[in-house]
Amino acid sequence: MSRNIAQRTYAFTVQSSELKVNRPLLERVLGYKSGGAPEVVRELIDEILPRVPDYLEPQGGFTILPDGTLTITNDSLYCDGTLFTTGSIISKRLRKSTTLALFVATVGPGLEQWSRKLMATGDMLRGYIVDSIGSETVEQVADWLERKLEEKSQLHGWKITNRYSPGYCGWSVAEQHKLFSFLPEKFCDIALTESALMLPIKSVSGIIGLGPLVKREEYQCSICDMKDCFRRRDEPLEVLDG
Amino acid sequence: MREILEPLTRCVERGKVNSGSPYPSDLRGQDGADELTRKALESGVSPQDIMSKALIVGMRHVGERFRSKEIFVPDVLMAAKAMAAAMEHLKPYYKSDALKHRGTIIMGTVLGDLHDIGKKLVGMVVEGAGWEMVDLGTDVPPERFLKALEDHPGSVIGLSALLTTTMVHMEATTYRIKSLNPNTKVIVGGAPVTEEFADKIGADGYSPDPQGAVEFLNIHCVHN
Repeated sequence: MSRNIAQRTYAFTVQSSELKVNRPLLERVLGYKSGGAPEVVRELIDEILPRVPDYLEPQGGFTILPDGTLTITNDSLYCDGTLFTTGSIISKRLRKSTTLALFVATVGPGLEQWSRKLMATGDMLRGYIVDSIGSETVEQVADWLERKLEEKSQLHGWKITNRYSPGYCGWSVAEQHKLFSFLPEKFCDIALTESALMLPIKSVSGIIGLGPLVKREEYQCSICDMKDCFRRRDEPLEVLDG
Repeated sequence: MREILEPLTRCVERGKVNSGSPYPSDLRGQDGADELTRKALESGVSPQDIMSKALIVGMRHVGERFRSKEIFVPDVLMAAKAMAAAMEHLKPYYKSDALKHRGTIIMGTVLGDLHDIGKKLVGMVVEGAGWEMVDLGTDVPPERFLKALEDHPGSVIGLSALLTTTMVHMEATTYRIKSLNPNTKVIVGGAPVTEEFADKIGADGYSPDPQGAVEFLNIHCVHN
């Protein structure tokens, strides 16, 4: 599919110093209360975190749909000739959008390679902590990207919605292929496999609504019907100073 | 025997590998799973009793506490490490038939899917329950499951997937396995998998957590 996207597409490299993964936050990512992880886990986090920047290549970008090309129904989005069957949870929350941004973000392959190497040598715990750092860091890259989009939107007096990703809130991960069709080839060095798995694995993609009437919600898991989702949280994680 | 086996159970539960392990700090300097298993064998406790009355009990507690969210993945990994230290002493007894696995499970993440950690976690808990685990890794096509089944006849097959797009390969894999080996039990799991999906694709079992997989295996797949 050929699209004229160059003028509405933005790519960024993110400085590691702008990402704030710290021990209290990571303890919560691992399931514990802040300060509640076993001593060995706390010490391993402290040992691993200073090395993380060496493995990071954070980048992300988005493309904004041309004006007047978005139609939203009860359970789907019709975007510039492409139908996304998102389900009603997402379409309902985007319904006041004037247009959409389609985004990807990644931390690069370094952390997953480090994690796999640790696990291959039998060091499962360190490997798991590195993997969890990757999962949280890529969400923070996406957070950073949202802020960039918000800045651009504010220039027009617009706001943005939360981000929504294929694979969550009832939206099939298979539609990732449609989403990627809006982006340049190998955008931000992210590839998509036939089974819609992004490589590097520590990558996220999704859509964000833009417009004068949209709003952000502070905590999203409550809207979703995937009760057993592995990313489900009982309450929002806060980025704590640690 | 109890005075040897109960501390061993605690070492597994708390991830105390050996006397040199600095963690948990309240057990610092004390014997871990490594030394206690060796001492149990030296004092004449049978490998089977060490396995069934200490190690499996410890890992079962770990699996149950993980299921009820009292503990988390790192705790399970630490417990598995302590279990592995104990198993180093017991491995020779499998060769001499003094100790037998409850059965064998061949596990793999299905074609197109590279997620590994969840499967590994289930594998550790299943091994801790006395099962032999053959790990085929990730992105495993049906043919490799069939080949592994030829190499390990009578095994159970465990399929993992983390994406709705790769879940479909669970159906194809289950179909291929069942077509050629109708009596082979297949159990499935992974974030997007549900009991309803497992039923639909003809799998015999589903569990949202590792301990559920153990319970399925122990109830439905033990022949002796």
